[in-house]
Amino acid sequence: MPFGREINRLLMGLLIGFICVTGAAAYWAITGANTILLRDDNPRRVIEMATTRRGTIFDRSNQVLVRSFVQDDGSIRRLYLRPAAYGALGYFSFTYGARGVEAAYDSFLTGENLSHTLTEALTNQVLHRPRIGSDIQLTLAMDVQTQVEHAFRGQRGAVIVLSIPSGDVLAIVSAPTFDPNTLDLNWDNLAADPNAPLFDRALQGRYQPGGILQTPLMAAALLTNRAINEPIENATANIHLNGLELSCAVRLPEIDLTFREAYALACPAPFAALSDSLGAETIQAVFDTFRLESTFTIDGFAAPPPLVDDALIPAPNRFSLTDENAYENILGQGELTVSAMNMAMIAAAIVNDGNSPQPNMLRAVRPPNEIEWQPVTVNLPTIPFMTDSTARQIQDLMRETVAIGAAQNAGRPNIDIGGHAALAYSGEGSLSWFIGFATLGGANGAAVAVVLEDSADPGLAADIGGTALDAAGSILRQFDN
Amino acid sequence: MQSVNPTPPLARSPQVTLESVNAFAHKHSTERALLVVAGLFMLVNSLALTITRGGWSTWTNFGVWVICAIVGHMLLNSRLPTRDPMIFPLAMFMSGWGLLLIERLTPLFAARQVVWLLVSTLAMIVISWTPAVIRLMRAYRYTLLFGGLIVLTITIFIGTNPSDPEGTLGAPQLWLGIGSIFIQPSEALKIVLVVFLASYLAEQYPALRAEGIDIEKKRISLSPRIVGPVLLMWGLSIIVLIWQRDLGTAILFFMVFLVLLYIASGYTPLLFSGFVLVILAGIAAYCFFDVVRLRVDIWLNPWQGENPANRAYQIVQSLMAFGAGGVFGQGIGQGAPEFIPVAHSDFAFAALAEEWGLLGVILVIAAHSVFAMRGMRIAIRQRGKPFNTLLAVGLSSVIAIQSLLIMGGVLKIIPLTGVTLPFFSYGGSSLLVSFAIMGLLLRLSAGEN
Repeated sequence: MPFGREINRLLMGLLIGFICVTGAAAYWAITGANTILLRDDNPRRVIEMATTRRGTIFDRSNQVLVRSFVQDDGSIRRLYLRPAAYGALGYFSFTYGARGVEAAYDSFLTGENLSHTLTEALTNQVLHRPRIGSDIQLTLAMDVQTQVEHAFRGQRGAVIVLSIPSGDVLAIVSAPTFDPNTLDLNWDNLAADPNAPLFDRALQGRYQPGGILQTPLMAAALLTNRAINEPIENATANIHLNGLELSCAVRLPEIDLTFREAYALACPAPFAALSDSLGAETIQAVFDTFRLESTFTIDGFAAPPPLVDDALIPAPNRFSLTDENAYENILGQGELTVSAMNMAMIAAAIVNDGNSPQPNMLRAVRPPNEIEWQPVTVNLPTIPFMTDSTARQIQDLMRETVAIGAAQNAGRPNIDIGGHAALAYSGEGSLSWFIGFATLGGANGAAVAVVLEDSADPGLAADIGGTALDAAGSILRQFDN
Repeated sequence: MQSVNPTPPLARSPQVTLESVNAFAHKHSTERALLVVAGLFMLVNSLALTITRGGWSTWTNFGVWVICAIVGHMLLNSRLPTRDPMIFPLAMFMSGWGLLLIERLTPLFAARQVVWLLVSTLAMIVISWTPAVIRLMRAYRYTLLFGGLIVLTITIFIGTNPSDPEGTLGAPQLWLGIGSIFIQPSEALKIVLVVFLASYLAEQYPALRAEGIDIEKKRISLSPRIVGPVLLMWGLSIIVLIWQRDLGTAILFFMVFLVLLYIASGYTPLLFSGFVLVILAGIAAYCFFDVVRLRVDIWLNPWQGENPANRAYQIVQSLMAFGAGGVFGQGIGQGAPEFIPVAHSDFAFAALAEEWGLLGVILVIAAHSVFAMRGMRIAIRQRGKPFNTLLAVGLSSVIAIQSLLIMGGVLKIIPLTGVTLPFFSYGGSSLLVSFAIMGLLLRLSAGEN
């Protein structure tokens, strides 16, 4: 047979070809599947999302905030039950994905992180059982959230309320917000809305700090042993900067005040003088210590984009305090911007002996078909901002501010509240800031940061902050008991 | 050229013994058992498809398949008792699975495909029953070849595409339409080409082996006997590519030709030089033809581009189907292969992977591998009949290489060539030609009269 050897070789070649095909199929079915199925253009993800019964979201006192239900046509719909919590929860949409809490804890809510035995996994796959996610309990307190949302109504801006020392987020407001139940219908309008309701002001918004920067500056002054009880001439004088006229938070005639009184009334002049007395290097060190350029977020949430990209912006062009720009930045009207979360964490550090807990929002998880909640333990280290003695000194100054200064509206009976309210200017408008704390006995307390856009009324910000701290105090005492 | 030594009919054979009768019976029972296994596979999957999707149309297909299997088996028993016992069950298994897949993807097309299954089975029986079919094909090889080329030429001028009759989408016009029936002449040309080449090389192989290679001096003699046909076939493939933009058929033609030339000459470097020609032609095609450039670009990088979602959507969805299928598959009717455009045709393999998983894929590859092995076994058994040997090798290679081209294409091993997966993909011409090839192999396996 003349062709035997060639036929055998040919057959061998063909079989090698078939083996290669098997190998490639095995690669895409097993190893490559992990990456290719996660691509955004995989329409199977939408099908999976549509059939996945996401877990229910509860607040810390087990009030249902969001749940899924099966519609008549078999599809699953997500229902957001509490309008006051809309801004705190984000959204889940088949078309536009997930954001906020829905995105941060997606692996719990979809059941993706649940471990199954091999038998369970195979049975689920063979029977195509829809995936059922775990329920989650948030640290959010609906009572606080509702009161803050109510106090905030009609304003634009953000509020964050933290529990101390745990760092639990008790309330988080970003306004204006939107109804996530009708997101798909209204997306185009929401995206085009000049008020940007889709923008998460609480976690991603960055604002001119203005006078709210006086608290870290006060910490710097205390650290450098600056006399804060000696009168300063014309402490209430307005400051003219780049066409802006910066004034105290409360309109006052030109009078002499001590440094601590100037802080209480959020007067800019004494703090402007710090740029000369402290020097740019020291002030930069203060800003660094208070991590004003950092982008803090809630544990589990996607981090906002960094302010500076080391790879793209050469070091000399990054923001840094110099003798030239120290003056405007010390007044909070320079390049430096801060987020509500930055300021909430400074307030948290003040009431927590100088160390701020890292914010978290997930309290417990309950897998499908289980009754008991499984507490989520957060072991994030605290972030040091100042010494405990400096923190206590600032606490006293902030109490004084609530008692006699610009933050009097934050005061509430039967609760120890300290705070600081100030103005900032942004473009042609102004911002009102308030940061504050409440002590609740022992190491317990609450911290708040409020920022109001297009507002020249720090008293309103202080009032909202006071409402938030009062509500937080009530709920935390209730939980302690 | 060696003389043909036909096997005498069984009934008149003086060598009929109890052992040989038992051997035939064993072959029949093997074929029957394999058909039963294939039938059970069909039954279980038809049941699963009915449960998941509802409706009864799948049972019509199943019924027709059963009739084809039983009638085919009985008629083959009566005329070809010594045939290969695995070819027919394998082909029925694959075509039945293909029918299920088409029913699951596009039920309307399944109704047409089941008619083509009937026609194809009938054609297979007619071919395998015709004792002189091999001899006739060999005798009329030039007539067949020129007839095939004329039909192909007609297709170039008045060809159409059932999916794009007006040609507005720019799809290749590879079909001839007669009323509502469309046939693809290039499919039939595969058989014609193999018959012609087998016949030509069966006559030329002693000369090729004697003067084609100077073994001692290890050099190639550039005899027109070798170079002529190579260039002729290369030219024919290029013409098919240029005029019809049918990349898959062009590559298939040329590779089958290379295989047969290698078998006839026994000269391995021919294969390599042939592949060099394929690559050179590929580079030229990349430079001159948009369709080739697009396919190569997509193959090299389906993930990026100006608009990857549209540009490489089909291949990306195909790979996702393999990922979604995993090892065990989603189960028939429970995956989402409908996201792969025209999954019932070129991407049947990917659709199958999603619903039957890697295990199903391995089964399909094993079926094609065994089909190729049985074909080569038939070729080796044609002792003293070089034409028959080359014919069996050529026909088996057509199925195997076509399978490898499309499987490799949908898995991104090679650029997509746009051929069908034999026996599985939707397409009457493809199924008919695959069954005709099976008929010829069965005829060869039973001994030519």
